[in-house]
Amino acid sequence: MSQSAEPPLTDRTLAVPAQGQMAARAGEPRNYVGIVRAAVLVILAAVALTTPGFLSQPSILSLLTTVSFIGCVAVGMTLITISGNIMSFALGALVGATAMVFVLAANWGGFAFGLVAGLAFAAATNALQGFLIGWLRANPIIVSIAALALIYGVAEAFAAHGTIYAAAGTSYAGFKGKVAGIPVEFVVFLCVAAVAQFLLSLTTFGRNLFLVGSSFRAAEAIGVRTWRAITGAYLWAGLFTAPAGIMLAIRYDAASMNYGLGYEYDAIAAVLVGGTVIKGGEGSVLRTLAGAIVIGVIQVVLVLQGLRTEWQYLIAGLIVLGVIALQTPGTRD
Amino acid sequence: MDILTVEGLSKSFGAVRALRDVSLSLRAGEIRAICGENGAGKSTLVKSLMGIFTPDAGSIAIDGVHHTMRSPQQAQALGLGLVAQELSLAPRLSVLDNIWLGSADVPLFHRRRDLRRRARAALEILGAGEWDLDAPVSALSIGQQQLVEVARLLARDARILILDEPTATLTDTEIARILDVLKALRARGHAILYISHRLSEVFDLCDTVTVLRNGEHVATRQVPDITREQLIELMLGRPFGDMYPAAAAGPDTGDALVVEGLNVAGSVQDLSLVAPRGKILCIAGQIGSGANVVTRALAGLVPGATGRVSVGDKPLRLGSVPHCVARDLLFLSEDRAAEGIFHQRSALENLLAANFSAHTHMGILDWPKLKRIGARLAQRVAIDPRRLAAAAGKLSGGNQQKLLFGRAIERPQPGVLLMNEPTRGIDVGARADIYRIMRELCAHGYALIMTSSDLEEVVGVADIVITMYRGRTVARYERHSIAMARILADITHPVQAAA
Amino acid sequence: MKRLRDDPHMRPLFILAACVVGLALVDARDFLTVATAASSLETFATIGLVALGLGLTMMIREFDLSVVGMYSMAGCIAVVMGGTYAWLGLACALAAGLAAGLAQGWLIVRLRLGSVGVTLGGLLVFAGIAYVVTENRALPYENMEVALGLSAPVGGIFSVRSIVAIAIFAAAALVIGLTRYGRDIIAIGSDRRAAMTAGVNVDALVIGIFGFSGFCAALSGALLSYSLASASPAGLSDVIVPAAAAAILGGVSLAGGTGRPLGIAMGVLSLAVLRAGFNAVGAPPYVNEVAMGTILLLVAVLDSTYLARRVQGLVRRVH
Repeated sequence: MSQSAEPPLTDRTLAVPAQGQMAARAGEPRNYVGIVRAAVLVILAAVALTTPGFLSQPSILSLLTTVSFIGCVAVGMTLITISGNIMSFALGALVGATAMVFVLAANWGGFAFGLVAGLAFAAATNALQGFLIGWLRANPIIVSIAALALIYGVAEAFAAHGTIYAAAGTSYAGFKGKVAGIPVEFVVFLCVAAVAQFLLSLTTFGRNLFLVGSSFRAAEAIGVRTWRAITGAYLWAGLFTAPAGIMLAIRYDAASMNYGLGYEYDAIAAVLVGGTVIKGGEGSVLRTLAGAIVIGVIQVVLVLQGLRTEWQYLIAGLIVLGVIALQTPGTRD
Repeated sequence: MDILTVEGLSKSFGAVRALRDVSLSLRAGEIRAICGENGAGKSTLVKSLMGIFTPDAGSIAIDGVHHTMRSPQQAQALGLGLVAQELSLAPRLSVLDNIWLGSADVPLFHRRRDLRRRARAALEILGAGEWDLDAPVSALSIGQQQLVEVARLLARDARILILDEPTATLTDTEIARILDVLKALRARGHAILYISHRLSEVFDLCDTVTVLRNGEHVATRQVPDITREQLIELMLGRPFGDMYPAAAAGPDTGDALVVEGLNVAGSVQDLSLVAPRGKILCIAGQIGSGANVVTRALAGLVPGATGRVSVGDKPLRLGSVPHCVARDLLFLSEDRAAEGIFHQRSALENLLAANFSAHTHMGILDWPKLKRIGARLAQRVAIDPRRLAAAAGKLSGGNQQKLLFGRAIERPQPGVLLMNEPTRGIDVGARADIYRIMRELCAHGYALIMTSSDLEEVVGVADIVITMYRGRTVARYERHSIAMARILADITHPVQAAA
Repeated sequence: MKRLRDDPHMRPLFILAACVVGLALVDARDFLTVATAASSLETFATIGLVALGLGLTMMIREFDLSVVGMYSMAGCIAVVMGGTYAWLGLACALAAGLAAGLAQGWLIVRLRLGSVGVTLGGLLVFAGIAYVVTENRALPYENMEVALGLSAPVGGIFSVRSIVAIAIFAAAALVIGLTRYGRDIIAIGSDRRAAMTAGVNVDALVIGIFGFSGFCAALSGALLSYSLASASPAGLSDVIVPAAAAAILGGVSLAGGTGRPLGIAMGVLSLAVLRAGFNAVGAPPYVNEVAMGTILLLVAVLDSTYLARRVQGLVRRVH
């Protein structure tokens, strides 16, 4: 009993140098990580620029909308990754489900009601997962996978045919336009990114999130209410993800679970490519913004090069594997 | 013929040179004590011998043959065996399985009768022949588990035994048993490296003693040729007592913290204490005594703790860290790497970690102000302000500990600082800084409660000492009645102390 | 009897019994049939091996997300390579599974990376290959003899697939129960540092377990594709939800060190009975998905590290 009450006394000479060991190991690969990163960017830019049609207006516009959808989910994912919970597998499903809730609610009570309902649904669904993870310390991967199955199952029960259409006569034309030549989606995404960056850098919640992600036990020991920080991270992740679903529904005047397929993978790839580390405690929305642009460019180039969308998974996987292998070694807990 | 020869062993971790050019040799039938302060390099030496760390330079020879230790398995095959400070038993496995865990002799199908017999024989040497071999080790006491570790080495016929503070958690009878066993093993021709803080055991058991200091070999002597005082001086490298600042008479503003009947199931029983402001109260006890559970419980980190605690005359609810922090009870963990420092975050953020919410303007963090405060704190705890932007994980152990102290300074009102082993893993220079900071806090009216297993430190720094043995208070001493011998007796021989 | 009840490894047996009794009470006539038993065993064959591999990685406190990707990819490899000789396709799939698993384990051990990150990359790469090969459509397998042979009933309720799965479970149970590898795996799961200090070759075992996990997923995926006579990429939740839930139900804890192959088998069997039972009593397909998600969420909560502490805290606050 006394053994479990007292945490094992780490051998001091082991504990301190273990740090040094990490630093020493990290110092050397860091140099070539920078080189690899620069090289990949140069190659990507070269491929993009030499791809015929990449610099055309429709292609740029499609890039901006692609980046917006991935970006909103990736910004949400950034908070989860920073909080030390790696990733959520349920964010893609959340995009589809939010789109459905939005269309159903908008059909019933109008556009504004749909908006509020969509945001509230996403926030609540995610906050509940965050609460299980933060308050009970349930495994984040398992919880998010379970949530994924539940969201799909319940959606299937509600929409037997898979797709819900906006009521006849509704048209969200006003939200499909452009603001000063920029798609509305991209403007929304920039707002989402700005709010997230504000939360992270300028509020106590943001600071606590970094602390919890960096060392859960140290954060507990100085009296941070860790469960609030983690629940908050998931709640905000839901709020940042929801616009992607709502915008997809507006775009197609319909909603389906298929809309969200694979977004969680694009999002985590964007987060990791941006340079946010997978073990948490570090990262920023600006990095994720850069990561989302990289992923967006890759997807647009794939389409322009005539490759099917099936390649996206493979590309995302290779990116994740490459980035993780190059990330600071010694990151295992 | 030397059974073990170590020459010029060096090992660095980043900027920290844990072991520098250490040489020693050991004969069969010799018990060698390795002595040194915390951080002297003892554990690094042990782990390099056992193939857990790969040394940067130097050679290890067994029976005159040079070997490069690459893995614990190789060290084991060469006849080296380690009983580590931390138990290396798998709690869910049985005694038998733990004895043979990791042994190279075990065949694929390991439930062999002769393995049972040999395990039984090893336990019999330790006087534990009647134990149930199939019981899980988690059902044994810590002392019994330690014996399983020793039995593991015996069952493997290790010729060179390395014991890293094996008696720290044992009861007297168990210690006596271990010492007898070691003497018997010496007579059978085993060579033993014995690492211990307890000088009495060194003089009782060992033939020779090697002293390490700051990772360097200082001296090797025959035990009969050296006195206790000489040994202490060799370990410290200075006359005893220079290190600690004199206790200035702090402002006598009453008691900061009153604890009555603190209980934690399995580790602390009915403990009461009073911590006056401006004083350093030291809870002395060995590993397993429950001393460090007391501080954790008072910091709100032990969920099941009960007892009446009042801070500044108002009662305090145990079990919630935020509540305790709100009442200015602040905790410094002994496990700085896991429970203190936010490695990836900057030194500045580490200094301010507990206080962000106090410096917001309409919910927005006031960064210019936070930076000013950070710079001032850095100055007060003697950290170079230019390093505030660096990741805290890159700082030295001493600087990391100063960051943790920095968190506790400049509370709205002087509070209570609860520290476990505050100078563990910290070099001598930074230790002096930390003692100075502790005294400064006293002068500002803080009450300091610390635990330490380093008795020199306890005697040097404490104004009040409470000794603990197996979860209970043994005695309480004030400044002038504090004596190392008494404390040592209390924390190891509570019966005598009571008598 | 008391000893039986308190043994954590008996838990899955009670759960299985509860599933059977519960469904029998709902609709005994449709549920208690040979067809249900056979369909349970088919599901067992589909998710059982994945659960076994995943469960073993959980026993050593790792998590192999890539099993789903491997499951899909192995099906494609088997169908593409096995056009003429089924055994060749199977061998290629198994070799790929084993090699990919070992490679992931090697990355985790050598670069000291977290297993979730590495296997997330593996999941996407393997699933990506499956998508590229199949063009996100069902890839037909022409060799109908093999397909029929694999699904044909043996001894009433068994099939070649379920017999293979049962055999692998039995082999795993023997290895874990009787050899020193089993003992070492439990030691690694309960305290990795201690196991290393004691001399267990931790790195080799971790790599080996990831190799085994890849092998199991590949075997399961390849056999399924053969028996369905087509390969198509599986969704993440289709396989990993029941597999993870079965492993935890079967006594494996995410905290490591507990669980046995037979427990995992019981966990898989209870979920398989549940799924077959839902079909038998005519529940719509989403009921199964919702039930699996709910079960996984429940076991995640029951397995969570702070549950006891939080409950204690609440109880104390009430008093």
